Amino acid sequence: MPSASALRIQIEHTLERHFPAALTPVPRTIREAAPTGIPEVDRLLDGGLPVGAISELTGPESSGRTSLALAFLAGRTQEGRVCAWVDAGDTFDAESAAANGVNLKHLLWVRCQSRGPQRRVFEAGVESAGPIACGKENAKPWTRLDQALRATDLLLQAGGFSALVLDLGSTAPEHGCRIPLATWFRFRQAADRTRCSLLVLAQEPFAQSSAAVVLECSPLRPETHNQTVLSSSTYQVRSGRQRFTPSIAGPRKPPASTWSATCAGQCEDRA
Amino acid sequence: MTPELYACIHAAEFPAQALLRLHTGLESQPVAVLEGRAPLETVCSLNRSARLKGASLGMTRLEAESIPGLHLLARSTQTEAAARAVFLECAAHFSPRIEAASQGTACSCVLDIAGVERLFGPPETLAERLRASLASAGLHASVAVSANFHAARLKAAASRGITVIPYRQEATALAKLPLAVLDLPLEHAETFVLWGIRTLAELAALSENDLVTRLGPQAVDWRDLARGALPHTFQPLEADFSLREFCAFETPVDRTDSLLFIGARMIDCLATRAATRALSLASLVVQMELEGGRTYQRAIRPALPTIDRKFLLKLLQLEIAAHPPQAAVVSLTLTAEAGQSSKVQLGLFARQTPEPSRLDVTIARLKAIAGDDRVGSPVLEDSHRPGSFRMESFAIPHQAVSHPSGTSQSSAPKSNASGSAPPRMALRRMRPPVPVRVQLHALKPISFRDREQSFNVAAAYGPWRTSGCWWSTDSWNAEEWDVLAETSSGSSVACLLVRDCAQNAWCIEAFYD
Repeated sequence: MPSASALRIQIEHTLERHFPAALTPVPRTIREAAPTGIPEVDRLLDGGLPVGAISELTGPESSGRTSLALAFLAGRTQEGRVCAWVDAGDTFDAESAAANGVNLKHLLWVRCQSRGPQRRVFEAGVESAGPIACGKENAKPWTRLDQALRATDLLLQAGGFSALVLDLGSTAPEHGCRIPLATWFRFRQAADRTRCSLLVLAQEPFAQSSAAVVLECSPLRPETHNQTVLSSSTYQVRSGRQRFTPSIAGPRKPPASTWSATCAGQCEDRA
Repeated sequence: MTPELYACIHAAEFPAQALLRLHTGLESQPVAVLEGRAPLETVCSLNRSARLKGASLGMTRLEAESIPGLHLLARSTQTEAAARAVFLECAAHFSPRIEAASQGTACSCVLDIAGVERLFGPPETLAERLRASLASAGLHASVAVSANFHAARLKAAASRGITVIPYRQEATALAKLPLAVLDLPLEHAETFVLWGIRTLAELAALSENDLVTRLGPQAVDWRDLARGALPHTFQPLEADFSLREFCAFETPVDRTDSLLFIGARMIDCLATRAATRALSLASLVVQMELEGGRTYQRAIRPALPTIDRKFLLKLLQLEIAAHPPQAAVVSLTLTAEAGQSSKVQLGLFARQTPEPSRLDVTIARLKAIAGDDRVGSPVLEDSHRPGSFRMESFAIPHQAVSHPSGTSQSSAPKSNASGSAPPRMALRRMRPPVPVRVQLHALKPISFRDREQSFNVAAAYGPWRTSGCWWSTDSWNAEEWDVLAETSSGSSVACLLVRDCAQNAWCIEAFYD
């Protein structure tokens, strides 16, 4: 009587053309994940957002991207870790972050602006002595997107940040799509090397294959209190891409999850 | 225990020596130094040639000018200070413990040379090298070596050349010195003259009890001085330690590279000097004199004191690149503040944090990209003004390093990470707010339009009135509406619509996200 292993080898050999290694379990790499702090999203992501990889939170305005990112940062900063927020549109609200539990002392905020840092104007009357020449960079205006990408690159290369949010939520998709794939690949490599969770807030996915997780966020319904106060909002999160999830036979997980966020203290007072 | 051993250097007529050190052509000429206000100047110092010509201390200018061939120079305290610094620097090459013992116009100091035989040889050799070192600096001094501090001091002041007093023979060595070397009070000096006591040997031979009975307890010290047995507590000089480097350029410099080339050398010198005292550089102040008489000053403060030259140079380069001088540089001064070297004990289970020195460079680069005031940590202000905050420079929080086990000491509210509180709807603020045109119905907005698209209001909750600082020009008075709207493309948004009551202007302040 053939043994079980012999039977397995025989079946695999027979099905080799259609299903390579059909009965051998696929080796699984355990990826470290950090919880987002929202149980519904954590269940969807098998524990949380991956550490040392790029995660994209995509969706239009009012789709809950920022709330989700802040909830994630709250957990990381409350553990004593250091995080950074690269704000391409200068839209970060410190009050909202504090209300979500983000420890602001552990957060480095880079506010990009439309023009480069202001230089002092060369005073007239000193013709022989011009300002010190520092290269061509001074003459070239920096766009917000360019600044954000350079800042992200610097922070990723510096290391030591547990999470880094690249906020391109207000960047037009036609501009974000022009970011070279090589840039995202470099970000992915640097995030992996420094064990940094890079969160990209955007209206559409930009990182393509460099992203480990893509979450598509969308607004579901707002909740009111006595029809007079906006009290909370329910959002839907759909997993658009999850690179490290093994294909497991069995009942499939629901492709989307819903979660809700309440208004901050200001609105509570109104209620 | 190492026996005590002192070497005293005595440079007589120091005002004259200090001036002649710079006027090398007058070394062999008779020179007298005058001090005081004209026309009442008197001779305060003179060299040997002048003394041979008949000049003496205390002569008036008129008397001195009557001596043919005598050169008269004015006393310069600055020159003397510089010469004294050189004098002490020469001495410091032989011993780090130096006590000043200057009296009158002479400059003298005593070195604690116990235990330096292995470095400089026996006391005779050390004294010769010491004297030669001073001679090379243009100063002439006598040197006396003794196991007793005061014996060395008295012998050096009263003799020329080099004198080494053998151990326990101090009394013999001092025996022939006149009583005047003790600098006794006038009344007691006259008493000794009346008694016929003229040398230290004669004073040392007197009975201690008899001296105390007649002259009081201080006479014991005089007797011990004369015997070369008076003890002394050594009080070494604490030299001023200032980390400052200065460079004046022959021609104004208008290139960063040239400036950094000099700056690198200056940082190197500062770091080396700090390292010799087991210190690091805690801050670096860059001062530049610019063409046109203006000045430029910036301060560089690394997160931790360091002597890493490349790191400091990088910070300097980034600082100059972010804040370039507005004119060519005439002179460059670097002043450093010394600090204790950083000692950080890392732990196996410590949280991941950025390396402080690397973070400094990163933040400097970020500031160069985004601007000085646009990189840092946000701090909420104690105000009811919506969205008020200020930026503070980012530093790695202490508890992130010292409490690696996890629980933060911060005052931030515990929230969703622990599962105790649900997430809050975050705002995305428009900076500056986007002005819109609003249509109202029954005082409620029903639609609004910005420059790009129009919005139909599905629901509007408000108004929530807020105002403050009415007593200042920084006042605000606004109505806030939480608005659910649909865009022309069909997507729905939730935003914060604000009406400025003072100007009756509407704008989108923020989007809920």
